[in-house]
Amino acid sequence: MRSGWLLALSVVVSASAIAVYTQLLRVAAVRNNPEGYVAAFAIAAAIAGLAVALRRRWYAWTVLALSLLLLLGGATFNFVLARIPAARTTLRVGERPPDFTLPDAGGRPVSLADYRGKQPVVLVFYRGYW
Amino acid sequence: MSEAEKAGVAIVAVSPDPNERSQEMAERLRLGYRFVADHDLALTRRYGLVHARGGQHGEDVPTPTTVVLDRDGVVRWLWISDNFQVRPDPDAVLGAVRAL
Repeated sequence: MRSGWLLALSVVVSASAIAVYTQLLRVAAVRNNPEGYVAAFAIAAAIAGLAVALRRRWYAWTVLALSLLLLLGGATFNFVLARIPAARTTLRVGERPPDFTLPDAGGRPVSLADYRGKQPVVLVFYRGYW
Repeated sequence: MSEAEKAGVAIVAVSPDPNERSQEMAERLRLGYRFVADHDLALTRRYGLVHARGGQHGEDVPTPTTVVLDRDGVVRWLWISDNFQVRPDPDAVLGAVRAL
């Protein structure tokens, strides 16, 4: 395969990874596997590396350098910056968590006891914005 | 979302500072969601779900967590995030609810 085609492929893989990531919130498969873009950047870098091995031109080195930057940035973001430390939760499957009473937006109290014996509850803790 | 209603399950969403519009919107769409405020993170702390200094401005925030409780209030499914990019898969939550 010619070096030029490999470089184009490398750029397409990187650009696709970025485009797919922007769909993160909408597509479950992407949302649940964010490390996919790190793998894509690694593949793009490998392809660029192969292109450089075939033809040591400045533009090949440039694409390789940019691919490696994306890989480093992506990996740092996904494996370091986006990490949430393991929560030392008291919640356990098979146990009943302590009840609470908290106000909803209208000021009405909400307790787990309201649902006990009536309905299952999906309790979601989030940061305040979806 | 209406899947939750079909499954007969209540959804209670806890955050330090829920947007009032979330509750208005849920009511307008007639979804059985309750958005509750845990302003001082007391409940989040009680359940051991605080992510210390995890907020944009270095404030403590809740660790994104989804818990499925059965009719007796017992935890049957628990999902705790270890990466803020990842949200729980709604199909997984629905599966857990249907398995009750």
